Amino acid sequence: MKYRYRISPEGRADEPTDAEIGKYRDAERLRYNYHKASELLHRRPLYKDPKAFIALVVIVLLALFIAEVLDKETPGSTPQQDERIAP
Amino acid sequence: MVARNMNATEELAILEAAKRDPARFAPLYEHYFNDLFRFVHRRAQDRELSSDITQQAFLKAMLALPRYEPRGLPVRAWLFRIALNELRMHWRKRKEVLIDMSYREVKGLAMEVGSPDKEDELHRLARAMDRLDEQKARLIQLRYMDGLNYAEVGHVLGIGEDAAKMRTHRVLAVLRTYLSPGV
Repeated sequence: MKYRYRISPEGRADEPTDAEIGKYRDAERLRYNYHKASELLHRRPLYKDPKAFIALVVIVLLALFIAEVLDKETPGSTPQQDERIAP
Repeated sequence: MVARNMNATEELAILEAAKRDPARFAPLYEHYFNDLFRFVHRRAQDRELSSDITQQAFLKAMLALPRYEPRGLPVRAWLFRIALNELRMHWRKRKEVLIDMSYREVKGLAMEVGSPDKEDELHRLARAMDRLDEQKARLIQLRYMDGLNYAEVGHVLGIGEDAAKMRTHRVLAVLRTYLSPGV
């Protein structure tokens, strides 16, 4: 990135005064944003929470189990498809 | 609104207190808000953007408090460094940034490079400054536009005071070369 300069007698046209800057000062907003940001920063990731981790493992195992059961209950579906495809 | 100067001991005490209770950061926010806003506004030249970046810089400072190590340098320079990083993040896709400077702001620089305090010469100085790369330009801005001392310039740029002084003198030499007749 390059800087370019424009030098004039008055410089920046809208130099804010102390009173004008004061309107932007908002300690409450800063405190609110800090709490929001620090909550996010210190939030425990799901995989590091033992309860959430076990719940995740159970869901994955259940999904695998259901997939296995469904696969066994519908035998022959794949061979038929194979026959249709084969010349 | 800067009520009075805050000495280093007071700043340190506030920072230590704020590490334990973030609400105690408020006096530093109140004290340095105007300084930081102006620092950002000199570059961003937009009030709403300056306000957002200033708030973001204070937020980053608060979040970084647990890692802050006092090294005897003013908190102001630490805040300027954070604000400068925020500005760079904001401008990361921009190729060029236009900065307006007043005669008063460049007077010190003009004297250093031996440029007469005349309108034509100041415009030549601006064109010479245009030719500086980002790092060199940042040094000149911090020293002459923001009026920081070498220790503060060094702290903002993450280098030592002596290095800041040496690099500034080198950039001034480069500017003198650019301003010399026939270049």
